[in-house]
Amino acid sequence: MSVTISRLEDLIVRDRDHDCEGVGPKKVCVKVMGVADLPTRFGHFRIVAFWNNRDVKEHVAIIKGDILGAENVPTRLHSECLTGDVIGSLRCDCRDQLEASLERINSLDRGLVLYLRQEGRGIGLINKIRAYQLQDLGLDTVEANIALGFRDDERDYAIAAHMIGSLTVRSIQLMTNNPRKVQQLTEYGVKVSSRLPHVIPPNSHNRFYLETKRNRSGHWIDFSGKPHLMEQSDPVVVEGMKDN
Amino acid sequence: MGRVDSLDNDIIIIGAGITGLSCARRLRQAGITALVLEKARGVGGRCATRRVEGQPVDHGVIFLHGSDPDFLAALDAVENASPLQGWPARLSGSGTPCQPEAFHKYERRLAFAEGVSAFPKHLAVDLTIQLNTRVTSLVSGASTFELQTEGGTTFEARTVVVTAPIEQTRELVKALPNNSTELQSVRLLLDMISTEPCLTLLAGYPLDVPEPPWDVCYPEDSTAFLLMSHDSNKRAQKRFHTLVYQCRPLWSRERLEQDPDTWSRDILDEAGRLLGTWATEPLWTQAHRWRFGRVESASALTSPVLLEFGQNQRLGLAGEAFAPNGGAEAAWLSGRRIAERILGER
Repeated sequence: MSVTISRLEDLIVRDRDHDCEGVGPKKVCVKVMGVADLPTRFGHFRIVAFWNNRDVKEHVAIIKGDILGAENVPTRLHSECLTGDVIGSLRCDCRDQLEASLERINSLDRGLVLYLRQEGRGIGLINKIRAYQLQDLGLDTVEANIALGFRDDERDYAIAAHMIGSLTVRSIQLMTNNPRKVQQLTEYGVKVSSRLPHVIPPNSHNRFYLETKRNRSGHWIDFSGKPHLMEQSDPVVVEGMKDN
Repeated sequence: MGRVDSLDNDIIIIGAGITGLSCARRLRQAGITALVLEKARGVGGRCATRRVEGQPVDHGVIFLHGSDPDFLAALDAVENASPLQGWPARLSGSGTPCQPEAFHKYERRLAFAEGVSAFPKHLAVDLTIQLNTRVTSLVSGASTFELQTEGGTTFEARTVVVTAPIEQTRELVKALPNNSTELQSVRLLLDMISTEPCLTLLAGYPLDVPEPPWDVCYPEDSTAFLLMSHDSNKRAQKRFHTLVYQCRPLWSRERLEQDPDTWSRDILDEAGRLLGTWATEPLWTQAHRWRFGRVESASALTSPVLLEFGQNQRLGLAGEAFAPNGGAEAAWLSGRRIAERILGER
């Protein structure tokens, strides 16, 4: 079907018969199913809901400005973290990272946050809570988290790649501190024109980063001695933080 | 004390189920011959087929399914067997399947006319497997692991991969003296996983019984049955109509230590209630007690475990419980992944 795409809503019509080969080894395919305004405390956005052919997870894109057919769209991939994003857990910095990315795209002409429903670095909520259980007993280390049956960061960005393509974004500026993410998306056919460091503003909860240098990736212990998992696979960079 | 077998390859895999075979095959692709020790007299574990007067009957896994491209390719590579694509095609009942995702739109399902054991048999080709060898203890020595078998033989290897059911893996790991943080964590994790039992009855009926109009039935109103599999539907030539009855975890648990004759009778009574009185009078039955039937999928971890011990010793734990969703696909992926970890590829 040939549909002129001038509004996000046109994507729904375009995707009615969409049936592509899929992206990545698992041949992931997504369709745009719904589009709406989304006023938030961070700014006024639009939200696009996706269906995918692999699982029942409903991924969404949060959009600022006109991104249809656009080049160099500042883009952030955020992986769902129920405990951090919703409950405000301080065992991770997901909420800080999500808020920082929404504030940032709101300050720009255009921008995109893909909210991917891959809880707990792809290991699922149950196993994430089990990892916390080990930490509570003082048993977790970065190595252990990998060795003990919890996958290292193995999230599949094929879905994100297809979502970016579905939104007709021509190229992105990826907001990340993790070059591997750039590489993965590129492998799936996304044109990443540049990488923007994802810097989160200082607040009382990330004081640790400002006081000491960054710990090993994947795991940090805050100034009160509580171990934290880094859910977003991004080394955390807080404004004003000293380099290693 | 028996002889000491030393292998130049230095990798021993405990268990020749799908996980152990998958691991050994992946190592072999890299030029490493691992020794696989299997307690039973055949390979395949729960991917099992019996032959009754020549007619195959699948009494463990009743069909194979998956969506991982590599796993599907492995299934397609099985030679000298006739795949039955899409089996089971005819489903009945609104009970919950053991793995609901098996019937997801994008999941492929298949069985083999020769029995599901065609798959493990194919995986086992050219591997070094010692059957009838039950490992009873695992000790971390000065430079190697020492494995004692029921027959009194001692094996040594620097790398050991345990692919036994969680309950048996737990016992082996418990006995290791090492109290590193990692091992403590592993013990804690193993305690979070459990395997559900599954009492199974194979029943052969004359060819003139009323044929149930389904391949697999998941009855919604049975406290005893998880499923009924119309096994003879998979066979090109049949002497009997065969049905395989597999029981729910709780029902099985309560009868696990009873005489099989007792629960076999209960199973036939239940079959009679669900199918008609003809089902209570088979020509023959065979009972099988799957003490470790299947991992409750919600309790599965997400990847295999590889632990370092002393000098250059490594202990791998893999199996259905070490990959998401459980089942033969999880077992196969977990076996391949632990092999890749051993090879240092991931």
